[in-house]
Amino acid sequence: MASPSISNSEANSNRPRDSKRKKRRKTGADAPTGPATNIDRSRWKTESEQQVYSSKLVDALRRRPAAASPESFPVPVRGRAVRETADQVLAVAAKGRTRWSRAILTSRLRLMNNLSRNHKKHRKVRFTGDIRSRKPAVRKTLPPLQRKVRVLGRLVPGCRKLSFPNLLEEATDYIAALEMQVRAMTALTGLLTGAAAPFDRLGSGLS
Amino acid sequence: MNRALPEMLHCLNMPGNVAGGGGSADISVLERQRARMKWQQDQNFLIGNHELNVFSAQQLHQLQGSVSNDPGFAEYVTRAVKQDPGMENGWPDVGKFGGDDHLGYGACGYGNVSGFEMNYEAIARTVSCSPTVAAAISEAAVTETKGKESILPEKLNSAVGRESSKKRKADKNQNLKVVAEEDAKEKRIKGCAEEGDSKITEQNSSSKANISNNNNRETSTDTSKENSKVTEVQKPDYIHVRARRGQATDSHSLAERVRREKISERMKYLQDLVPGCNKITGKAGMLDEIINYVQSLQRQVEFLSMKLASVNPRLDFNTENIFTKEIFPACASTYPTIEVSSEMANPAYFQFSPVQQVVSCCGLEMGITPPDMALRRTTSAPVSIPETFLDPSCFNFSYARIFLYFSKSKPLQPGTLSYKTSIAWSFNKEDQQHFPLRHLQ
Repeated sequence: MASPSISNSEANSNRPRDSKRKKRRKTGADAPTGPATNIDRSRWKTESEQQVYSSKLVDALRRRPAAASPESFPVPVRGRAVRETADQVLAVAAKGRTRWSRAILTSRLRLMNNLSRNHKKHRKVRFTGDIRSRKPAVRKTLPPLQRKVRVLGRLVPGCRKLSFPNLLEEATDYIAALEMQVRAMTALTGLLTGAAAPFDRLGSGLS
Repeated sequence: MNRALPEMLHCLNMPGNVAGGGGSADISVLERQRARMKWQQDQNFLIGNHELNVFSAQQLHQLQGSVSNDPGFAEYVTRAVKQDPGMENGWPDVGKFGGDDHLGYGACGYGNVSGFEMNYEAIARTVSCSPTVAAAISEAAVTETKGKESILPEKLNSAVGRESSKKRKADKNQNLKVVAEEDAKEKRIKGCAEEGDSKITEQNSSSKANISNNNNRETSTDTSKENSKVTEVQKPDYIHVRARRGQATDSHSLAERVRREKISERMKYLQDLVPGCNKITGKAGMLDEIINYVQSLQRQVEFLSMKLASVNPRLDFNTENIFTKEIFPACASTYPTIEVSSEMANPAYFQFSPVQQVVSCCGLEMGITPPDMALRRTTSAPVSIPETFLDPSCFNFSYARIFLYFSKSKPLQPGTLSYKTSIAWSFNKEDQQHFPLRHLQ
């Protein structure tokens, strides 16, 4: 079959460059990082990662029924489903080495297992009202730095109660991964919108 | 010698740290330290570090074995006393120092054995556990007993090996602090003596370690004047940090410095990652930028996912269109898009590759050819296409990958066909200069 040969050739062409990049990465990344940090920082920038991610994403999207059926769900719901699959594929691409990737994957499992029960429990907890008994608007103004750290912790999945240096590290990896995700998804949407566009211009194109 | 400096440090720190006691205590303490140093040096000279450990352990066992063996104990004690002249000088002061500590100088005799033995038990137990803990407990023992019992702890300290000046300081500070908190410790000592439990001593040692840390913070100003480098050896799993010249050497500031350096290093990485952060210095501004960037990235992902979701079903719809339409118009549909999309289209390529593309498209869109043939045709034309994208353009690679994926997995599905055509088209769009050469490969 020709296709395996293509993939092999491409993989082979990619491998030496990737190995070079990996060597560079190892020498560069390991030197400054101490014993605690051992995550590569430039692994999200390689093209191979993006290829892997985009292929996995396409695969997941094709498998997912919600994204493929336009009639049953409105666009926003489908968009959310696509986003969730994209995040999960990103977490899979991270190979579970980072905290946020593990959090994404486990949150999905949690949602699948406990759909209604947790929501009810949460609601009960919220409505046990101490609202009136508490004095209104007595909140500690945490130092602004701490507040921002908390906000960042909420943004990065699974990193709410993390120490500041670890949080920064997770954020670094998360930002790199997000950038790669955006690149891959723009490529994919460009591809797909490009495929849709030609058929609209059939009439005008022939002249 | 390595020990001389710490000892000197110790001596220098002492005057500043004496909380209780008068001026006379300073001198006596210094004398005691010097004598202790000499004694320790002698001890070390006689016995190696490891041997000392063993020796002390043996001593402890001996003592434990011969609890009621007064002469042996007295012998040992007297021997110890002789060898440590400084201690003798220090006894009255220690007695003064210790105030109403019942384990003062007068308790040289057997009456002290119970507490002493308890400490030895603790020390013996801890010797087997870990030398550092033993050191801590030995310090606790020193503070608790404040007598000749400190000899053995001192031995243990030296036996531990690399005795850091911080340890010695902690020892002294513990002594000082204990002066202030005698009553509580007396009770604890009594409890220990009664129970003979080493756990309490360990707790005491840990609490005293905390106290020593607090004291060390106070002494940081003094230590900062020191020019010596100090290695911090605490538990084996701690990060070994070397204090720099002219900087505070107590454990707290060292740990804080390590933490600050970690944070600043990671902020630097983030600065490189987040665009527009080069001008901003300071954690707050940087954090603001980082948060904004993460939010914008997440919003982008949401927007793209919505777009993908909207485009996805259209794809299947369009593939049906492909099949229903004629071949030529379908192929012609690729031409205008190529023209339109690639403003920098190479005319040579335009002649060369579109033909191939058209052929492949025709082959695909006919839907007549068997799957293998279709695959072969499609793969023959774009075989070189993946190779053309050896340049680091991520855009192209994703396309190549998608193409490969589809060609591998499900050749006959309508979705793939359209993907292939679109990919072929998009390949044209991306890589202009490489095509003429590499298609021939």
